[in-house]
Amino acid sequence: MNWKKFFIAFVAAFGFIFLFGFLWYGKLMNGAHQEVPILWRTDADFGNHFSALVFGHIVMAFFLTLVCGRFVPAGGAGACATLAILIALIYAGADLITFAVQPLTTKILCGWIAGDLIQFAIAGAIIGALYKSESRMTT
Amino acid sequence: MKRFVFAFIAAYAFIFLWGWLLNGVFLKDVYAQTPNLWRSQSEMMSLFHWIIIGQALIVFSFVMIYATGFAGGGVIAGIRLGVLLEIAAIGMRLGFYAVQPFPGKLVLYGSIGGLVEMIIVGAIVGAIYKPAGPRTP
Repeated sequence: MNWKKFFIAFVAAFGFIFLFGFLWYGKLMNGAHQEVPILWRTDADFGNHFSALVFGHIVMAFFLTLVCGRFVPAGGAGACATLAILIALIYAGADLITFAVQPLTTKILCGWIAGDLIQFAIAGAIIGALYKSESRMTT
Repeated sequence: MKRFVFAFIAAYAFIFLWGWLLNGVFLKDVYAQTPNLWRSQSEMMSLFHWIIIGQALIVFSFVMIYATGFAGGGVIAGIRLGVLLEIAAIGMRLGFYAVQPFPGKLVLYGSIGGLVEMIIVGAIVGAIYKPAGPRTP
């Protein structure tokens, strides 16, 4: 594994995932989320748990990069995006289960599933484009 | 295709049973501490088909990732895939913990349960399905 390229891909993936999450879930879906305010922490409480959000995104980006780096060692935006979309479907399955047990609206459910698919597909493509093994680079 | 279906059915049967055991029995008291965050029992039952579809989608995607040859073959490869995917899921769980007022122990126990689940799912899929070989560019 090329750790320098891995690190660059990880940082780029983290930057994208965090920014996308803020825009999609925090801004674009804010109105939908506010339809069920009982489900969310207050602003002050969210501020106290912000480190968990950052750490969670670091873990997600790191392991998505690791999965792509390990299972698609030659890199490539298309192959990594394909793998990332399959991973996003696992999260979509978890979203469906959450919908069944928590009082989410269908608008939130659809937004989360669409967000997962877009976020992972682009993050996977970024990782695949940045991470290329030595063998791929020399051919 | 036949092995794909067998792997899917076996992994699904396990995940369904484990999901009930973990969430419906072991963590029942932890969930009861935050009743406002959950649907009522009758409401959950009316939406139970979404749990079945969600679990089926998780298992289908897992077997699909394994079957496309990304992870290689064998029980160990299946377990490795399960561990990597679950650790990434723990990251997402932490994200939910930051925005939803879950008790911390629910995240901890849920993550431990999820790790056990994905290790066993990986082992089941790895034991039943034999992919052609690791994907090459």
